[in-house]
Amino acid sequence: MNATSTSEFAGTTMRSASALSMRALRNTRRLPSTFLPTLAMPIFQSIAFAGTFFAITKVPGFPTDRSINWYMPLAVCMGSAFGGVGLGFSAIKDIENGFFDRLRMAPTPRRSLIIGPLISCWVRTLVVVTIVLLVSFGFGARLTSGFVGLVMLYISAIGLSTVAAGWGLGIAFRFRDMRGAAIMQLTLFLTMFLSSAQTPLNIMTGWLHTVARYNPATNILRLSRQGFLGDVTWDGVWGGLVALVGLSVLTLWFARRGLDSLDR
Amino acid sequence: MTATLTVQSTAAMNHNWRIGFRQTVAMSKRSILALVRQPALVVPSMIFPLFFAALGTSSFGRAINLPGFPKVDSFLDFSLAGTIVQGVLFGSVQSGSALATDIENGFFYRLMAAPSSRLSILVGRLAGAAAYGAFQTLFFCLLLLPFGMSIKGGPLGVLVMVVSGGLIAIAISGFMAAAALKTGSSEAVQGIFPLVFIMLFFSSAFFPRQTMSGAYKHIADFNPISHLIEGMRDLCIDGLSSGAIARAILVPIAIMIVSFTVALRALAQRITAQ
Repeated sequence: MNATSTSEFAGTTMRSASALSMRALRNTRRLPSTFLPTLAMPIFQSIAFAGTFFAITKVPGFPTDRSINWYMPLAVCMGSAFGGVGLGFSAIKDIENGFFDRLRMAPTPRRSLIIGPLISCWVRTLVVVTIVLLVSFGFGARLTSGFVGLVMLYISAIGLSTVAAGWGLGIAFRFRDMRGAAIMQLTLFLTMFLSSAQTPLNIMTGWLHTVARYNPATNILRLSRQGFLGDVTWDGVWGGLVALVGLSVLTLWFARRGLDSLDR
Repeated sequence: MTATLTVQSTAAMNHNWRIGFRQTVAMSKRSILALVRQPALVVPSMIFPLFFAALGTSSFGRAINLPGFPKVDSFLDFSLAGTIVQGVLFGSVQSGSALATDIENGFFYRLMAAPSSRLSILVGRLAGAAAYGAFQTLFFCLLLLPFGMSIKGGPLGVLVMVVSGGLIAIAISGFMAAAALKTGSSEAVQGIFPLVFIMLFFSSAFFPRQTMSGAYKHIADFNPISHLIEGMRDLCIDGLSSGAIARAILVPIAIMIVSFTVALRALAQRITAQ
């Protein structure tokens, strides 16, 4: 493939991907009921967790005295992740009603069937993170390291939505019906909660400490909380970035293999 | 002649009661069998509360030394009541959803056409929910005991908790049944689940009210779920006392009366609308 055909191929991919992402975003506008839970859940989680577990900030060694500073990034990450697996639900619906077969028959590069929805997922994630942030600021969340901290939160949210989207699409392409939905949600739920989701590692006791130490979600959450618990440091950033890049590559590859398996 | 008629009508009434009772037992047996035959309906209401209990014990184990936290040996002692009520709430949503499914698939109307007691449809369903709630309570107590949990109320305390679990199940299932009868849609009943979840979080299910502050504490103070949980919690962490028993039994009964009344009205409306 020479340079011209490569750029044409990339151009076609992006054109198809942007058309598919526009379709997904239009669906969001037409059916707000599919989007609203992914917005309402993180807002509720931020407020409810910060209120319920407020006293935990008084345990010696807890890194902040504002519980919402600890729980809001968790809520953002959970919301982004569940927004990501939402692509899996949409894919299952498209597979079940036959629309996905029509997409597969269209003369478009296969990768656009993953990239397109992924772009729409990123847009939705940006909207959700921004709204959750604004609400949380109203409930007392404060940045401790300025703009860089915000960037870290957005990177974590976008990265986690990519990981979850890859996972959700991969499962959807393999199961092809709603049985897959429970697996997508449950695995994500367990992965997120078996980490430093509720308390930092130094506060945890027993089995959870061991599990959370090796769970990549702990590093991702550490990255997302950088701007709310003190200064942004390279020590707190690199682990999360490696986890996000590594998991994104793995899950998108999983989704691509699943997409290819639809042809077999 | 009058005496004969009185005797006959009393006998007829007794006969009707017996038939009504038998129908209620059959309906409750049916609702329990549905849970036994479809474990997928049961598993979430058993596994998720246990998962949160395990998670909470490891995450918040050090919080028991905080000022305002009740005196407990471990966080597991504190979280037992929350775990039970959480499980019962999830189970109650399932019970309401099953009633709505009966309406959706027409089974409810077949019962209406049959010469059966209308009340047994509702009472049977609630009795099934109560049996499942009591079972869940006993299951959680027995399962968590080997993990270092202690119940200060002893076996009698566990017995009161089991009764309380059954009553809580009726109290919550009553509201769910009302929603099912009003909407006739299992999707609508499942849609109430987030509301239940929110109420659970804005209560003392996971942390004591004494450690909360501001508006959040006020919400938890007024939230009936806080009071449902705390009666049971007293039995677990303080031991058996008349106050703890009264709280564990009377609070669910008070809520039960309200929810049963609401459910009866919804049943009457559905029968009238038919």
